[in-house]
Amino acid sequence: MLAVQQISGAGQVLAQRAQLPAIDYGALAPLLVILGAACVAVVVEAFVPRPARWGAQVAVTVLGLAAAGAALGVHLSSGAGGVVTLAGTVAVDGPALFLWGTLLALGLGSALLIADRTVEPGGAFVADAAVRVGTAQDRAQNRAQRAQPGGTTPGGTRAAAAGGHEEMQTEVFPLFLFSLAGMMAFTAANDLLTMFVALEVLSLPLYLMCGLARRRRLLSQEAAVKYFLLGAFASAFFLYGVALLYGYAGSVALADISQASAGTDRSDTLLFGGLAMLVIGLMFKASVGPFHTWTPDVYQGAPTPVTAFMAACTKVAAFGAILRVLHVGFESTSWTWRGVLWGIAIASMVIGAILGLTQTDVKRMIAYSSVAHAGFILVGAMAMTPDGLSGTLFYLLAYGFTTLAAFGVVTLVRDAEGESTHLSQWAGLAKRSPLTAAVFGFLLFALAGIPLTSGFTAKFAVFSAALADGMAPLVVIALVASAVAAFFYLRVVVLMYFSEPAADGPTVSVPGGFTTAAITLGVVVTLLLGVLPSFALDWAALGGFTS
Amino acid sequence: MLALVAAHLALAGLLPLLSARSHRAAFLVGALLPAGALVWGLANAARALGDGVTETTSWAPALGLSFSFRLDALGLVMLVLVAGLGALILAYSAWYFGPDSPEAARSAALLLAFAGAMLGLVLADDLLTLYVFWELTSIASFLLVGQGGEDRASRRAAVQALLVTVFGGLAMLLGFVLLGEAAGTYRISELLAEPPRGPMVGAALVLVLIGAFTKSAQLPFHPWLPAAMVAPTPVSAYLHAASMVQAGVYLVARLSPAFAGLALWWVPVVVAGLGTMLVGGWHALHETDLKRLLAFGTVSQLGFLMVLFGGGGRFGDVTALAGMAMLLAHGLFKASLFLVVGILDKRAGGRDVRELSGVGRALPGLAVMSVLATASMAGLPPLLGFVGKEAAFEAFLDGGGTPGLLIALGLLAGSVLTVAYSARFLWGAFASKPGVAAAQPQRPEAGLTVPAWLPALGGLALGLAYPLVDTLARGYAAAYPPTGAEYHLALWHGPGLPLLFSALAVALGAGLHRLREPVTAMHRRLRTPVSAQRAYELTVAGVERVAVLVTGRIQVGSLPTYLAVILTAVLLLPGTALVLGTTLPDEQVLYHAPMQVPLGVFVLIAALGLVRARRRFTAVLLVGVIGYGIGGLFVVDGAPDLALAQFLVETLTLVVFVLVLRRLPAHFREARSPRRVALPKALIAIAGGAMVASSAVVVSGARQQAVSDVSREYIRLAPEGAGAYNVVNAILVDFRALDTVGEITVLLIAAAGTASLVLATRYDRHRAERVISGSGGPEHEEEVLG
Repeated sequence: MLAVQQISGAGQVLAQRAQLPAIDYGALAPLLVILGAACVAVVVEAFVPRPARWGAQVAVTVLGLAAAGAALGVHLSSGAGGVVTLAGTVAVDGPALFLWGTLLALGLGSALLIADRTVEPGGAFVADAAVRVGTAQDRAQNRAQRAQPGGTTPGGTRAAAAGGHEEMQTEVFPLFLFSLAGMMAFTAANDLLTMFVALEVLSLPLYLMCGLARRRRLLSQEAAVKYFLLGAFASAFFLYGVALLYGYAGSVALADISQASAGTDRSDTLLFGGLAMLVIGLMFKASVGPFHTWTPDVYQGAPTPVTAFMAACTKVAAFGAILRVLHVGFESTSWTWRGVLWGIAIASMVIGAILGLTQTDVKRMIAYSSVAHAGFILVGAMAMTPDGLSGTLFYLLAYGFTTLAAFGVVTLVRDAEGESTHLSQWAGLAKRSPLTAAVFGFLLFALAGIPLTSGFTAKFAVFSAALADGMAPLVVIALVASAVAAFFYLRVVVLMYFSEPAADGPTVSVPGGFTTAAITLGVVVTLLLGVLPSFALDWAALGGFTS
Repeated sequence: MLALVAAHLALAGLLPLLSARSHRAAFLVGALLPAGALVWGLANAARALGDGVTETTSWAPALGLSFSFRLDALGLVMLVLVAGLGALILAYSAWYFGPDSPEAARSAALLLAFAGAMLGLVLADDLLTLYVFWELTSIASFLLVGQGGEDRASRRAAVQALLVTVFGGLAMLLGFVLLGEAAGTYRISELLAEPPRGPMVGAALVLVLIGAFTKSAQLPFHPWLPAAMVAPTPVSAYLHAASMVQAGVYLVARLSPAFAGLALWWVPVVVAGLGTMLVGGWHALHETDLKRLLAFGTVSQLGFLMVLFGGGGRFGDVTALAGMAMLLAHGLFKASLFLVVGILDKRAGGRDVRELSGVGRALPGLAVMSVLATASMAGLPPLLGFVGKEAAFEAFLDGGGTPGLLIALGLLAGSVLTVAYSARFLWGAFASKPGVAAAQPQRPEAGLTVPAWLPALGGLALGLAYPLVDTLARGYAAAYPPTGAEYHLALWHGPGLPLLFSALAVALGAGLHRLREPVTAMHRRLRTPVSAQRAYELTVAGVERVAVLVTGRIQVGSLPTYLAVILTAVLLLPGTALVLGTTLPDEQVLYHAPMQVPLGVFVLIAALGLVRARRRFTAVLLVGVIGYGIGGLFVVDGAPDLALAQFLVETLTLVVFVLVLRRLPAHFREARSPRRVALPKALIAIAGGAMVASSAVVVSGARQQAVSDVSREYIRLAPEGAGAYNVVNAILVDFRALDTVGEITVLLIAAAGTASLVLATRYDRHRAERVISGSGGPEHEEEVLG
């Protein structure tokens, strides 16, 4: 802008003084706080001595989340309506605020899981990710790990924290904060370029975080590479779609695209081609089938706290963006893309439900369940009504907490080799640890959509909105898919309660405060949203999109 | 009423605290609450028989969800069964579970929670409220049944029970939603007042029936109930006799007044009911485990009840009267019998027909009570079962026409079987059998016998006090079209066909019992080609096989496969949009400069070579070659600046690649994939490339957006303002020079960072036996590179 102004100073055109765009700092505060915390975390990583880093990072992360939450609260209580700021690139409106609140709360839960050092002595993250697997250094690292056997006692933890080898890679905290900031920006992005930048900001740290597992490092690194390569493809599709839409509308702002598509005689090729490409990129992030192929491998390979973060927050962010794109940019053309999205939703539900049946690994099973749930959420996202919007937002909130807590429980069941994720090892868990089994059973019931859990109210909200918007056949398919999916959730419940525990089965670690807090948070919210959903539903219905 | 239900659930949550001190106290305190519910129900009986007692509490107004309850005649009967028997069974449990039984604490809480859910179910006046409690009973039942199950069989039984009922529940939810949408309301009372009609309703009803059939163990879903008999006996008595399994019957009874006129409703109900009655009765004749005998008997009786409630619209209100009487009778006698089996199990050392002998002589009181209960089951006067059965025959024989006669004959056959297995129960439990050592039972304490006596006596009392039952049943039957003559439930209607049928049933049933050994031998020889159990197993196995097959095909962990899946979706989605919306730009020429042809061929050859390359270095070089070829095309098209950028990027990438390659093996390690794998991959890749290329052509032609003002201004200003004839250059170095400087700075920092990373990790530094940084040292590089 300034450069333009300099030339035009000599010339005559573009004579108006360029205005710096106004920035509504109050509305943006939560996002800025998280970004600021991320930068502080980088500085901490650079300057704080290694033994003290973990504590400092946890403090920065939790304080950052709390401050962002407080800023959000202040903005909400000020009663300001939807705001479009930063020269129209960011819209802080009802859905964005709801999703920010959801992301911050889920982020807090994820951060607690990430920070935990009691379940896995020293934390779930490797001390030095750059050491190649199988080298002498890696062996040395593993030996140091083994030196503290068992290690679920507080004493063992302290010893682990004191021994330098045991320290986990604390870079995970700034990565986490940057990713979270990217997610928040993703849900509030009012134009496609901002959305793309946010997409990359949220994705790149995630790719790295996936590769940081302390145990089964090859699997973890493979997951990271797969996620990165496929993610790069998806980003490319997204960008291609943006380019096509720019070609169509002459702008990347969602509102302009919407305006351009309403009542013109322009060729629709660019519009549809662009939208299709865009949707592919977004669906990939939300792990909607058939763009889900990365999901099981990555969920399984990534360190479980990161998986929890991905499963809960990425889904929220991606669907936040999908909702905004569909509602703001393409509402007037909904009749053209709905058919295609029907197909995608059906594919996702069927793939998730059917493939989930064969899984023998808990993490992979929840991964497929997330694919099926993505299909359910998409059903709600397609309903272009206020009920559809609020129902989908509610679903995201409910699903996020349930899945977060479920992965939290997964971290607890372990044997000498780390987490025992094979289902056969979960047999008879109820006899070993009734509380863990009861909590996990409850979460599975929630995922299956049994009444008095958030799963039921969320499904009901979404399906009834879809039904009211004339998508009865899709709702029927969704219910059938729920029934099939219920099959594999319930099978795990049966396995936990009715099987004899294996003689050399895993033990259930007694979690430290952090993991306990995260799981409790998830379980309590799951129950509350099931029994008293009104509060969250009312908040979700507070306002529509502003653009 | 919500408070009543919530109180059950809340107390159930607190009971474990009490159980820790004394199991018996926990059960007894738990029993108080259902007893209170019973008292509340009876106190409101007059209002219930009148307009009904209603209550609505908003739950999630945003979703239109609310808890609505209504107590009417049908609700009252169910309340008596659920709350009354619930209180008795909880009291019985206090003595049944030993003081140090590990199951007691859980059972007390779960039984009470189940009672609360069941209460909610029978009082619900809203389809969704009903669904909520329906699923809760499924789960509570699952947890109750499961606790004893440690062996493989009981595990499978629990899974089966849960799967079948949850599947049915979801089908029912779908039916409810369709029904509610068609009617515009989810309130059952409003639905009954103005029943919706239409094709949607037909589908909805079938789905609702699936739910009802699964819960009430009707054909073909019946095998789960006998399998669930692994549960502790009080649990079986409550769930699988008196309350939960009656929920399906209750649902049919609840909705029948609105839909019983539809053939789509009553025909499946009556056919499935009759079939279930016969199949259940037949199986009961051959069971040696008394509990399984009763379970099959329950299946049979539930079929009977289905017939009665389903046929109400077609055959008039007498069926409904019969249904109400039988509903009450069945709950009473079956609970009593199950409790007897529990006593035998605990005090007489077993429940196997082949091992019990002489119990009747040792425990005459128990035998008398069992005779009372079985007589009601067999339909002997003056018990309630007889009153109900008389009315049932009357309903179908009087004015039912041929279908009525057929149904009545079916019921007669079923009743014969009922009498036969009733006799078998008594014989099995109490008779002295030659060659079997007489049992030495301990005398059961009053805590066990009194709860069993009460329902048995209830059957007798209500049979004698039939006008009371008649009033109650009439409150429900009024919703049906009346039959010609007014009919009242009574013990004596004078001689007629119904009485003849009742007598025939008893006589033939007794005969059948005498012939039990040849009949059982025949049963053994009989091989049924169709078995519901096998169908269930095949379905489950089939679904799994399909899932394994699909997973094996597409989720193999291979990156190319994943990419292929995504590419295929891309081909289908934008590809379809492309094909449908195509407007090919006019005047497409293949090339407009001769130099383009060799360059194009060059790029293609490089791409093909790349696919075949085995050495990493060759592959990287070929990628570079493709880039240079594209750059060449830019030159030919008169864009030297673009070409320059392309060349620079390619060179840089190549350098980076080489840096990385030093740390990688020289050759690709994977074996070349076989042709049948390679071919689809190649096809998808080619199609993907072709799609992108053709979309580029199509899209460039489709662009109609006028050149924007900014662009026009830039074009105008470039020569005179910046002295440049290349607008892109002018923008980069002049118009937006600050941006460019910023970009260069970012690039520089990134490059510096990358370089320092690369240099820093070249070698490892060992300081005091600690590895400071990353990658392998020179020896390691040798080892890897070979």
